[in-house]
Amino acid sequence: MAQAQSPDPNFETDFWKDANLRKTWDEIVPGQPRQTIPYKLTQEAIALYCKAVGETNPLYLDEAAAKAGPFGGIIAPPAIHILLMFACTPANDWMRSPGTVNAGQSWSYNIPARPGDTITLQARALDKFIKRERLFVVHDNVFFNHNGEVICSGRGQTIRPM
Amino acid sequence: MTTANFDQLKAGDSIDGPAFAVSRESIRLFCDASLDYNPLHLDDDYMKGDFGKTNFGGIIMHGMNNFGLITRMLTDWATPAGAIHRRLETRWLKPVKPGDTIRPAGTIKAKQTTAKSRWVVVDVAVQNQRGETVAAGEAMLEFPVSA
Repeated sequence: MAQAQSPDPNFETDFWKDANLRKTWDEIVPGQPRQTIPYKLTQEAIALYCKAVGETNPLYLDEAAAKAGPFGGIIAPPAIHILLMFACTPANDWMRSPGTVNAGQSWSYNIPARPGDTITLQARALDKFIKRERLFVVHDNVFFNHNGEVICSGRGQTIRPM
Repeated sequence: MTTANFDQLKAGDSIDGPAFAVSRESIRLFCDASLDYNPLHLDDDYMKGDFGKTNFGGIIMHGMNNFGLITRMLTDWATPAGAIHRRLETRWLKPVKPGDTIRPAGTIKAKQTTAKSRWVVVDVAVQNQRGETVAAGEAMLEFPVSA
C-alpha cells in the first residue's frame, strides 16, 4: 500500500502571502487563459486524497489488486481534479484568493489519471456576473495527461471576495 | 440500496453512501490532500468576519469534500458492475461545520440508451445530521454494452 504523503511539500500554504498579486473580480478578463504548471501525480498524493475522503477502493491504493483489475494498475479517483486544480496553478492564481467561495461545479470524466502521469491544465475564466450583490466568476478547466489525452473537464462558479 | 444492473434499474431506486464525520482534523486533512488552504477552512479569526451578507461563525468544510464523498458513493456502486462514473454536477446549499455528520445519497432519475452505450442519470444529495440538504446535484454513469 502506498504511504499517504503531501502532494507538494514545497506548496505555499499561506494564501495571504501572495494575495496582492492575484486578480480581483474587476481585473479578471473572461476568455483570458490562466497560467498553469505541469504536475506529476504520485501514488502517495492519491493515497492522501483517499484518506481525506475515506476512499478504500483497492483500485486506488493497492498495486497488486489494481494490476489485476480493469485498469491494469493504480488509478486516481475521478475527483482527483480537486487536488489538480491547485497543483497545476501558481501561487498568484485567483482561485487562491482568501475568501473565494465555491458555489458549484460540474465535471465530465474521460479517462482516469494515473500515478506517474504528468498532468497539464488548460483553464480560463469564461464569464463573470453580479447576482444578489455578489460577484461571480465562471471558470472552465480541462486536464490532460502527458499523452495529450483528456482526463476530465469541468466548469465551476466561485463567489469572489469583495 | 439497489445493485448496479442496467436492465433491472428503475427510476426511484436508491443508492446509499457512507456517513462522514466532519471535524477540524478532517477539514485540515482535506486542506493537505487538496492543497486548498483557503482561510475559510483554517482561520477562526478570519471567519468571525462577514462575507457580504453572510457570517459563517467559524471555519467551514470545503464544498468539494461533499463532491469527493458523492464521487466515492457513485464509484463504489458502479465500478463492481463495470459501469463508469462520467459526470457530476453539484451546488452547495448550506455550509458544513466541524461536529456535523454528513451522508451522500442517490436516486435513479432516468435511463437512456444511445447509439453506442447506455446511461443512467442519478439525482444526488448530501444531508447533515439534522436532515438538511447541504449539497445537491446530478450524476451520469455509463453502463457500456457488454461485448
